[in-house]
Amino acid sequence: MKEKIAVLMGGRSLEREVSLRSGQRVADALTERGYRVLSLDVTAELVSTLRSERPDAAYIALHGKYGEDGTIQEVLEFLGIPYTGPGVVASALAWDKAVSKRLFREHGIPTPEWVTFTADAFKEMGAATALDLVPDAVGGFPVVVKPAEQGSALGLTRVDVPEGLAEALLGALSFGPAAIVERWIDGAEIAVSVLDLGDGPQVLPPVEMVAKSGLFDFSAMYTPGETDYYVPARLTPEVEAEVRRLAEQVHVLLGCRHVSRVDMVVSADGTPYVLECNTSPGMTETSLLPMAAEAVGVGFQELVEKLARAALDGLE
Amino acid sequence: MGTARIVFDRWDGRYAQRMRDVRSSATRDLFAAASRPDIISFAGGMPEISLVPADAVVSAATEAVREFGAEALQYGSSEGRPQLREIIVELMAEIGVRTKRDDIVVTAGAQQALDLLAKIFLDPGDVIITEGPTYLGALQAFSAYQPRVICVPMDEQGMDTDALATELAALGPCGAKFIYTIPNFQNPGGVTMSAERRRRLLELARTYDIPVIEDDPYGRLRFEGGHMRPLRALDDDVIYLGTFSKIFAPGLRLGWVTAPPPILGKVLLAKQAADLCGSAYAQITAERYFAGTRWRRVLQDLTRTYGERRDAMLEALKEHFPAEAEWTVPEGGFFVWVRMPTFLDVKALLPEAIERGVTYVAGDAFFPDGRTGRNCMRLAFCYAEPDAIREGIRRLAEVLEDRLELYRAFQAAGALPDAMVAKGVSA
Repeated sequence: MKEKIAVLMGGRSLEREVSLRSGQRVADALTERGYRVLSLDVTAELVSTLRSERPDAAYIALHGKYGEDGTIQEVLEFLGIPYTGPGVVASALAWDKAVSKRLFREHGIPTPEWVTFTADAFKEMGAATALDLVPDAVGGFPVVVKPAEQGSALGLTRVDVPEGLAEALLGALSFGPAAIVERWIDGAEIAVSVLDLGDGPQVLPPVEMVAKSGLFDFSAMYTPGETDYYVPARLTPEVEAEVRRLAEQVHVLLGCRHVSRVDMVVSADGTPYVLECNTSPGMTETSLLPMAAEAVGVGFQELVEKLARAALDGLE
Repeated sequence: MGTARIVFDRWDGRYAQRMRDVRSSATRDLFAAASRPDIISFAGGMPEISLVPADAVVSAATEAVREFGAEALQYGSSEGRPQLREIIVELMAEIGVRTKRDDIVVTAGAQQALDLLAKIFLDPGDVIITEGPTYLGALQAFSAYQPRVICVPMDEQGMDTDALATELAALGPCGAKFIYTIPNFQNPGGVTMSAERRRRLLELARTYDIPVIEDDPYGRLRFEGGHMRPLRALDDDVIYLGTFSKIFAPGLRLGWVTAPPPILGKVLLAKQAADLCGSAYAQITAERYFAGTRWRRVLQDLTRTYGERRDAMLEALKEHFPAEAEWTVPEGGFFVWVRMPTFLDVKALLPEAIERGVTYVAGDAFFPDGRTGRNCMRLAFCYAEPDAIREGIRRLAEVLEDRLELYRAFQAAGALPDAMVAKGVSA
């Protein structure tokens, strides 16, 4: 029998259901591959269960708060349990788009113009009186308003007119302490996954998503049939090379290991813009990382095992 | 010791299409993930069963076995025991409905009647009309038969019959399979349909020839105001659902349906297919319990207790809740419906509320689209003690206050469109 792996999933985040779907597929794959699998929910008993079960590694199939923001990573470091995916710092940087977008800009990585508002800036400093400056700051409407922290596009709204801005901000701030207003880039939505399993980053083919509703929101993301996917993305060779280069640059810049998924939009004129980096990419039946891996002949089970091995074998 | 282990459904992917839309509530899952003893729950509508005297139940149950053993433990008739149906006839007479034993089928709670009615009436894609918001369990029972649900909004007078008229005009005669309503202390709205609206609803149902299902679980739990005549008392064609769950105990799973004979015949066929017959043991226990008069005092105790809890909740809401919140004032039943400004996503606040030790059901659970009502919440006052209710409302107010501070900052800056606070019970 092979090593014992704890698959962490669920949790109290709003992405609980998605995480359970990812986690179940991961657990099934590892079981098929002969590992002893422990499926664990994030409850008040998690730490004591981890201590008594002493798994050889943890596979993080958590999405959203606590799973992707460095919290669980910090706990596993402390317990001395190796885990899949980026470490504490990379997770924390990628989780907060207000921070990661600044890093992108400082390092010449194109990202749509944006402004960040924290709830405190509105409450304590009267920032709502300056909403009229937003169009100039980001280059006009339409814009996308979204929580600065949060994965699965929850709380995301497209706003076409200035009057909609306040309500969209209030909505986004229901999900977290800060919100981003970002210029809307018309173009192809693509996701570029990076595997980094000991011998340097390997960029997988870009996946293109076309939401039938026009907005790649939570429901489009997780409802089969609501989105068309193209693997590889329909890009010219030059643009494809550029998005691959950018994905690798982001992965390295944030200090990711094992895996990351960089989401971008490529405008009509072929300019790619980086939107965000995910450090715990979804593993459901409609998820992008497994699709990209499939395209280079790495099946789901193999992908999961590679990631688990990276943790077990201590690959940085 | 507790464990964080979870076990999966390895048969996932092999279930029927009809189960696809039958969802467990996300709220429930979230809450289950965080079941802590210190959480004050306004989520579930559970009766205060401790007020039902154990000795009365013991003697009823003992008599059922000792004196009716052979009957109690045997298969019974599908329509339910005649003796229990006689008791139901009397209970119905007390609320102004004249009916006969043969007009009644006993079901496993009113919940089973909802399933049976949906089964006999609905093909996939059929239209039904409900109040919006409406009872989550009804939506769940109906959804397995894949209807298209049209929600009619409510206000303090209950279902908006003008809006209903508009919907019906668009659908035309027989354009919906049925209209489902909870006229008394609606779940989750807490409002009661006025006499005028009751008449109008029946008029419209007649004009468009659409059956009405009247679900009346809370009717006898009135704290104040005068008795309202049930729809069934005004029109013999109404399908009426009653239950022993709130006047005795939900654990016995006893409810009933009264309907015009042809419909009742179909219900009976569906009932036979579903479970042959209800539990004779439970039915005899109820017969014995209702044979004396003590149940009336118990019902008074229950009603008084729920009334005190409602008062505690309403007072606490007044004291702690922000000015932007609006809520209904129920004259009976279990629930208060709270509306916040439309931008406020009450569901997104749930993890935080649980963190602070209080829980509720976010309003979207009571709408079939799962989206409407996200700015609303249902608060059940039936189960927590008044002190716990006050503390729970205080905690909840803190969570809301946090968000509203933000809202007020926007308002102060003149950054909000006027339309962001609307009126009414609906979302």
